[in-house]
Amino acid sequence: MFEILEYEFMQRAFIAGIFIAMLASISGTFIVLKRYSLMSETLAHSALVGVAVGLVAGYNPLWVAVIVAVLSAWLIEYLRSAFSLYSDAILSIILSGSLALAVIIVSLGGAFNNSLFSYLFGSILSVTTSDVITIISFGSISLLLLLLFSKELYFITYDEEVAKTSGIRVKLLNFLLVTVVAIIIALSIRVVGSLLIGALMVIPTAAALQFRVGFKPTVLFSLFFAVFSVIFGITLSFYFSIPSGATIVLCVIAVFILSLFLNRK
Amino acid sequence: MSIKFRVPIFDVKNLSFSVRGVDILKNISLEIFNGEYIAIIGPNGGGKTTLIRMLLGLEKASSGEIRIFGKKIRKFKEWNKIGFVPQRASLVDTNFPATVEDIVQMGRVAKRSIFSSFSKEDEKFTHDAMVKMDILDLKDKMVGTLSGGQRQRVMIARALASSPEILILDEPNTGVDMVSQQRFYKLLSKLNKEDNITIVFITHDIGVIADDIGRLFTINQQATICNDPKETLSCEDVSALYGMEAHLLHNHKHEH
Repeated sequence: MFEILEYEFMQRAFIAGIFIAMLASISGTFIVLKRYSLMSETLAHSALVGVAVGLVAGYNPLWVAVIVAVLSAWLIEYLRSAFSLYSDAILSIILSGSLALAVIIVSLGGAFNNSLFSYLFGSILSVTTSDVITIISFGSISLLLLLLFSKELYFITYDEEVAKTSGIRVKLLNFLLVTVVAIIIALSIRVVGSLLIGALMVIPTAAALQFRVGFKPTVLFSLFFAVFSVIFGITLSFYFSIPSGATIVLCVIAVFILSLFLNRK
Repeated sequence: MSIKFRVPIFDVKNLSFSVRGVDILKNISLEIFNGEYIAIIGPNGGGKTTLIRMLLGLEKASSGEIRIFGKKIRKFKEWNKIGFVPQRASLVDTNFPATVEDIVQMGRVAKRSIFSSFSKEDEKFTHDAMVKMDILDLKDKMVGTLSGGQRQRVMIARALASSPEILILDEPNTGVDMVSQQRFYKLLSKLNKEDNITIVFITHDIGVIADDIGRLFTINQQATICNDPKETLSCEDVSALYGMEAHLLHNHKHEH
């Protein structure tokens, strides 16, 4: 039927891509509403440090990326609560610091080559079976946690203090959210690339918000936009031989522009 | 007034709060009992909101003790017994993706177990709270499109959905027109009398303090407690408190 699905690497790309789209859009809803959008960019660069360590030391880059991204998320939350610094300043510092660290590790290790490039911009061709397994296993746990606590997280997003006074463990759940987001971002850099994953987290929700609907429909819109953009983007990148991550991002931006026009005041 | 031997809902002893050496509240002691209807007034910067934030566990006292239902605040776990309506209730982010029902359901979140979605019971409480606040017809409306008065009722419905024993409101009338304010005070009084919900609210408008108020706390670093506001609170007291001319409106409508 579709020749594109006859290739095994394309099957892997679609499975990984759709899974990533689901994770990024659902977690992205909370991230955008909490005004944490820049956090996804920062964690993506931290994940790159993990990739660099993995490439140089010979470990699975995806696994190391998950660990480093989670540690970075915790560091950000700690700095936010322990020092009187603006949170966007903290994010900027960690973002540039991570990138600098990643570049130095890679150049010292002599691994500045195509494989790092593929993590910067994503490469569906390079998604291996073991990557798919890593994405599905870590991703399922993240998805389960998000769904279990979605109502609490929604309440916290709406009004953190009122949520706290009604007995919700706000600190713990914020911690859980950034941890899950860090995992999802680290998993995503294989498919979309660390420079582009922020777009897949933020833009589907930004588009969904234009429709001015309640919480559940907003999440569903966001999910649909992300999955559609990934499928369409991967397909286009296959037929026109263009980079997958960038194509996915342009697709999701097209969806965003369309939803802006559909919902003009 | 009858003497109460029951355990107070809030029992505050010698509470002080200071920030970087500046006293915000000094030596506050007060008790709040079940079924009371209490208004808190005082000048801006006098510490009204700080007091409420400490009662809710959002700020830690510098010294002194707070007990809630007889338990030390640090050990108190049944926060769903306390409904809180914050000051900024009328100033929500208008783009936030929430229907009225989404917001009211938040009142049930802390009660449900994490593995289940909202139960029939949750739906019933959500529904009843919306009926009580007369917002059932707004159920599917986006919260950002509501008027200040409507939004205020949504916030109270959210607090009511957890079936609280006490409702604490911080300047609930910010950004609400006069007609809605009067309607609002009627609703509060009804909740107090018919549903036996203890009500504590901060207010700015001395003029609108209704005759239903049982006690009046004036907070200006220290607390002055009027057990019978109709008799004790004179214009001079209030003027002294605010440092300005104030006019109190009382209808002196006594209950039979």
